Amino acid sequence: MKLSQLVFKSMQKNMRHYYLYFFALIFSVTLFFSFVTLQYNESIIAATKVSGTASSGFEAASYMLYFIVLFFVLYANHLFIKRRSKEIGLYQLIGMTKGLVTRLIAFENILLFIGAVSIGMVLGLLSSRLFAMILLKLLQFDAVVTMTFSKVAVVNTLMVFGVLLVIILVQMAFMVRKTTLLSLFNASKQADERVKSFSVFPMMMGAIGLGLIIYGYYRSTVLFTGQTTNLFLSMVIILATTIGGTYLVFRFSVAFLLNLFRLTKKGHLNLTDVLALTPIMHRMKGNAKSLTLITVLTAVSLAITTLSYISYYSASSSAEDEMPADYIAVDGREEPFIQALKQEGIAFEQKTFRLTSAQFDLATIFSGDVIGMFQGNTLSDALIIPLSDYHQLNSKVQLNKGEAIITGFSGFQSNIMPIEAPIDLTLLHQESEIPLRIKEVNDTAVLAWRVTAGGFIVVVEDSVFNQLQRLNSEYAIGYSTQEQTSINLTNADEETYKQVEKLYKQTGANVLFKSHEGSTVNKLSSQRSTVEYNLNLFGTTIFTTAFLGLAFLLATGSILYFKQMSEADEEAESYRILRKIGFTQDELLKGIMMKQLFNFGVPLLIGLLHSYFAVRSGWFLFGTEMTTPLLITMTLYIVMYIVFASLTISYYKKIIKQAL
Amino acid sequence: MSILIARKVRKTYGKRSLAQEVLKGIDLEVEKGEFVGIMGPSGSGKTTLLNVLCSIDQVTDGFVEINGQKLQGMKERTLAKFRRDELGFIFQDYNLLDTLTVKENILLPLSLSTIPKAAAEKRLQDLVSILGISDILSKYPNEISGGQKQRTSAARALISNPSLVFADEPTGALDSKTATALLDNLSEINKAKNATIMMVTHDAVAASFCSRVLFLKDGQIYTELYKGDKSRTEFFQQILNTQSVLGGEQGEA
Ligand SMILES: Nc1ncnc2c1ncn2[C@@H]1O[C@H](COP(=O)(O)OP(=O)(O)O)[C@@H](O)[C@H]1O
Ligand SMILES: [Mg+2]
Repeated sequence: MKLSQLVFKSMQKNMRHYYLYFFALIFSVTLFFSFVTLQYNESIIAATKVSGTASSGFEAASYMLYFIVLFFVLYANHLFIKRRSKEIGLYQLIGMTKGLVTRLIAFENILLFIGAVSIGMVLGLLSSRLFAMILLKLLQFDAVVTMTFSKVAVVNTLMVFGVLLVIILVQMAFMVRKTTLLSLFNASKQADERVKSFSVFPMMMGAIGLGLIIYGYYRSTVLFTGQTTNLFLSMVIILATTIGGTYLVFRFSVAFLLNLFRLTKKGHLNLTDVLALTPIMHRMKGNAKSLTLITVLTAVSLAITTLSYISYYSASSSAEDEMPADYIAVDGREEPFIQALKQEGIAFEQKTFRLTSAQFDLATIFSGDVIGMFQGNTLSDALIIPLSDYHQLNSKVQLNKGEAIITGFSGFQSNIMPIEAPIDLTLLHQESEIPLRIKEVNDTAVLAWRVTAGGFIVVVEDSVFNQLQRLNSEYAIGYSTQEQTSINLTNADEETYKQVEKLYKQTGANVLFKSHEGSTVNKLSSQRSTVEYNLNLFGTTIFTTAFLGLAFLLATGSILYFKQMSEADEEAESYRILRKIGFTQDELLKGIMMKQLFNFGVPLLIGLLHSYFAVRSGWFLFGTEMTTPLLITMTLYIVMYIVFASLTISYYKKIIKQAL
Repeated sequence: MSILIARKVRKTYGKRSLAQEVLKGIDLEVEKGEFVGIMGPSGSGKTTLLNVLCSIDQVTDGFVEINGQKLQGMKERTLAKFRRDELGFIFQDYNLLDTLTVKENILLPLSLSTIPKAAAEKRLQDLVSILGISDILSKYPNEISGGQKQRTSAARALISNPSLVFADEPTGALDSKTATALLDNLSEINKAKNATIMMVTHDAVAASFCSRVLFLKDGQIYTELYKGDKSRTEFFQQILNTQSVLGGEQGEA
């Protein structure tokens, strides 16, 4: 028989094994090719011009993607070889030389790669259109997406997968060379993990693992506070302790705890123990590494996705913080704008806030760690608004004599240097002192960020406000803005907003500050254009990180799924036995579900915990809102894991059904 | 009363041109408390017959009744429960789970039952001491010999006190001393508990423990011998004679 005939014969016979590997290859090509196509697409290039870093961001992401793909394909190939070890052994048994076997497998792989790359590119072209539409939507960029077959992308993809093929061929040749017949036949037998007696070592190692994780978590919570002196070193320590700890927990604690539990049963196992507990224990030694890897990758991708989603999510909420109303004008410049709105018959609401300033000593409200940052100069300005104006936002607030509240204190600032109410704050104006008791600190945005310049706002009784206003009319300190008017449109549609945007600019209501000669003009932007600006600025980053997160998620999910598929194949014999001696398919499936709860649930749970602490440590650098984006991405991940787990269970179901 | 009735049982493997009819119309009745041996040359369909009788495999045609219940047309779930509660199996290739210890393997059929632990433990201790495997209970199947595996498999078959035990070459991998011990044990369970046993064997000595022996050839029952009042040695001689008339290689299963 000629080599090519032999190849086709064996490919035909091993279709089931190929199918998985082939799918993994196609999937990788699709993902990679669609991303690279996107990178070189004209409409995308046009849309991402706003952020100057887009193209380098894309490039960095494509390297990352290459690593994901590399890792994923190598892993799939590893599983593929393992599943076929018997076949490879058989070839050698019937007298093929190792050289011939290597050539045979190489030939097969080349065929598979050619097929996968061709199919993957077609799918990639189709999906890149979808991704492009998503990206443009993120950027709020109206354009029809035309996808062209980019030559650069094709060459790029061919090169990347060519290199990958070479790596795989070398890996294969190496494996065939170094394996003996006997080891090939035994390759699918797993190392056996069982602890016969109560042993101190695994218990200690497991405890150490848990301790490391907890220590890493603790370090992450104080990462961006005064307690951390070397940021980089801290990050390395956190990564090392959590990853190392995770491995130790998987490698020692899990099997140890399960074994303890098993020993208490004294041989009287129930069916779940038989189907879930004992196979998990049995495979734990071999699976610890891959479970750790999957957990860490899940955590990393979840954290990346969450952080990028936080910045995206915050694009509008941080715009709302920056511009707490649709349109804002200061010091009476709203008049012509309001006239114009009335003329056009556009419905709106208006709130006016009177402002004045005072000074205070930072040292009285912030802790020592924070004060160090100001290097001795601790006198700062505060913006003051009267309670009666604040009532427009919240009519319930009441202040007793000498009481005040702090508002507009949020984001980065409130995380790095928190203020705990109640606290005493003394307002200063030259020689005058007004002692106040702050009874509440909140993050309600009242004034435009450009007006406050990041400082917080103190809401005081009207009498106090009047006193300060009088003092400032004699000798002005602090902020120059005297009044802010917030204008919100009611029931406006898209067209109206566009029209009003023009009016806002034409009437000069957007001017914040104008020098006497008119040479420097500072302008405010409407809330909508602030959102747009933010989206444009972060859109590409968000898209690429989300894309990578998705790639990671799909890769880890598929790996778990593939792993379980081959585990199911290996355990088919057990299911046959169990069905013979009278267990029903449903009973077996119940046990399998418990097993999957562990296989998917534990990496997911630990991954979620890891990512929670990762995100918590520095989310405020990315945006203004943590809980919602975190919950949404976590839910998405949980859903995806449930999908993969269900796929796995349905595969098991098939195996169980066919077992007898 | 017949505990098992088989009528016109046919079994065909493969489809169309590749079809191979392994059982060609078997009629069979087994009375409660009988110890039935099934003999025949290798490939004659002994394992297949056992499998269709005990509902592990489906018949192509005909039907099987156990305890007056027709297996054909019974739901998969009911069949499984029936196997678990009423039948015991000793398989040719042991069929032990690698991930379980010997003890866990033996107790496996009870894993969904409501039998109290103490009662289960008592049954287990009785069985393993009869079968001589008390000191390997905490070992895993890959750490014990073929004979020990077979005895583990036998213990597992008997742990649920089944009313009908199917044994496929239970002594195939045993030395003659252990084989005799196992057969004595099966006979004892057959007599003391009035358990019905169907045993496939190619060994005339093993068959001589039975109360009746069926000879299978080319998918049909060729003949059957009753032990009656004969001594075991006489019966053994009779089996040997029939075997030689039957011809065909006898060596393995
Ligand atoms: N699952 C199967 N598929 C196809 N043919 C089978 C299958 N099982 C058994 N056979 C065939 O049926 C015949 C009888 O097999 P078996 O019942 O195992 O014989 P015995 O146990 O008497 O040695 C053999 O020719 C065997 O090849
Ligand atoms: Mg047989």
